Amino acid sequence: MMAVLLSSCTSGDSANGKVQIEFFQNKPEAKTTFDELIKTFNAEHDDIQVTQVNPPDAETVLKTRVVKNDIPDIMAMGATDTYSILAQSDIFTDLTDSTLLQTIDPNYIQMLNDLTGMDEVTGIPYATNANGIMYNKTLFKEMGLDVPKTWDELIATAQKIKDAGEIPFYFTYKDDWQTSLPFNALASNLVGIDFYQERRDNKVTFKEKYREVAEKQLELMKYGHGDNFGKAYSDGNRAFANGEAFMYIQGTWAISEIRKANPNVDIGFFPFPTGNDASEIKLVNGIDSLFTIAADTPNREQAETFIAFLLEPENIGRYIDEQTLFSAVEGVKQDDPAVQELMPYIEQGKVIDFPDHYIPAAVQLNSIVQSFLQNQNIDNYLDTLDKEWDKVANRR
Amino acid sequence: MNKRIAPYYWMTVPAVVLFFVFMTLPALQGIYYSFTNYNGFGKDYDFVGFKNYFNLFQDDNVGNAYWFTFKFAIVVTILTNILSLLIALGLNAKIKFRNFFRGIYFLPNILSVLIVGYIFNYLFSNVFPIWGQNLGINALSTNILGSESLAWIGIVIVAVWQSVALNTILYLAGLQTIPTTLYEASNLDGAGKWREFWSITFPLIAPFFTINMVLAMKNSLMVFDQIVALTNGGPGRATQSISHLIYTGGFEGGEYAYQSANSVIYFIVIAVISILQIRFLQRREMDL
Repeated sequence: MMAVLLSSCTSGDSANGKVQIEFFQNKPEAKTTFDELIKTFNAEHDDIQVTQVNPPDAETVLKTRVVKNDIPDIMAMGATDTYSILAQSDIFTDLTDSTLLQTIDPNYIQMLNDLTGMDEVTGIPYATNANGIMYNKTLFKEMGLDVPKTWDELIATAQKIKDAGEIPFYFTYKDDWQTSLPFNALASNLVGIDFYQERRDNKVTFKEKYREVAEKQLELMKYGHGDNFGKAYSDGNRAFANGEAFMYIQGTWAISEIRKANPNVDIGFFPFPTGNDASEIKLVNGIDSLFTIAADTPNREQAETFIAFLLEPENIGRYIDEQTLFSAVEGVKQDDPAVQELMPYIEQGKVIDFPDHYIPAAVQLNSIVQSFLQNQNIDNYLDTLDKEWDKVANRR
Repeated sequence: MNKRIAPYYWMTVPAVVLFFVFMTLPALQGIYYSFTNYNGFGKDYDFVGFKNYFNLFQDDNVGNAYWFTFKFAIVVTILTNILSLLIALGLNAKIKFRNFFRGIYFLPNILSVLIVGYIFNYLFSNVFPIWGQNLGINALSTNILGSESLAWIGIVIVAVWQSVALNTILYLAGLQTIPTTLYEASNLDGAGKWREFWSITFPLIAPFFTINMVLAMKNSLMVFDQIVALTNGGPGRATQSISHLIYTGGFEGGEYAYQSANSVIYFIVIAVISILQIRFLQRREMDL
């Protein structure tokens, strides 16, 4: 039995003479799409066989596998703190000079370097997502509302909807990660990403820079429904799909879930208007999936062949269509009508990364923001952010 | 080796080896890592001495988790024991469909904690608030799991609902050890039901009371699944138990060594509480 267990864990040449490549990825939503792409790839290649592994809670599974030194050949994950920590532990192949990076938008490669603080590139950006405000086009039309372009317009629009006795925003703050969506949009535009480099060097504090972010996030709370902390992400998708609210602060990843609940809903999406100069507003646009290759895999060449296959415009096009994401490969467009208002920002590079990717997971930003929105004490909140950051930094 | 003794070794040695490999060794490893700054993966780490332990005592998240866990455990232990004793007394009486009811009351113990948690999660967020609105009760018209001050009550309700099943069975077993002749005698002496309970029933099931108190306390000190299914520690950190903190901080937060130190301390705390509880409650048994 031990032999069976061991052989199932190691990859490499198998009995049928094919090189076995393990493709580990963390998005349950994308499993079917990858299955189809892998089927095509395996049929085209006689010498390589790719298998997909997609366990629940994949990031935690991956970390425990790294402990056992049982690292999959290819790993796909978001550009998060987990990626950053793993990259700094040198478990990924250095791909800085790889030809695979030639077609990738340099903005996203820069994002990875900023995130890890390293000069080497160890991940190949694949698909990206965006975070903004989703709105129900039908409801907006019925009430004669325009898409708000500035912060003041956003609040005025919300007030108008509230006065009409309807729900402006559907908040789903029972899930703590939902509270960090407005945080990301506000923090990236009002403070910027450089803040985190300075914070690491102890040159600046949250208390000095984050008051406006906190105040604006609190202001939005006036325009929710009656049970903002009682509803979770899945409740929100259902409610928004059924037209219960006009706006929904959300990521593009929710579109497919919402359409499952109601295929006929007419969704629009606009970038979060964080300030009053509409031309300065950037779209929060982060790497949803990137590919890495294990540093000690004997099958680097085959792994690269598979990644090159996934990067072919036809294949990535299919992937972003089915997942409502954006392509990191230049020239591949997303035509979904729901996100057309976001496309100019992406094409002109008016984008900025998710700030929470720069905050160590141990700080538990989500629960801090959630707690702040409940007790509404700004001073206490900013102190907590600084205190938790310092504590975690001190423990590393 | 004495031939008669040999079979005992055959049975004991594998058990000792298995126990050592799967329980003792990981525990020792955990203690070892608690003196390092290991993040759970990668190859390099340094020894940092008692730094993790020192930091633990300054971390108010740890204090907060201890406060929640003890508050939760004490309330759950008391409620579980009162309710399960009452149910056991009822199920021990001569009622119709007795076995049917015994089966029904045992059901919650068979269901998976996670499934029960998700069902209650749905009830709390979508069903109870609607009842609350219709009845005009303000406190019930929002999801209590979404409130920092009330969420723990929601978890208590689910935990008690589920743990009552097992404790009821144990109390039932205890009640059946009491000879009926004692009740007949007390009846002749003219004792009332209340007197009968305090003077006969309760003293005679004292050992079962001890074991139920210890079990309920230990189980609720280690509460984890219910929290994952109901609130995931939120809102904020209002319902974060110690084991949930160890898991999220250690694996998701990449602070393996730091949370190892936390679990070493927590192990000692649970051991001490259980020993004290057994000592105290057993002394009570002997006095009677």
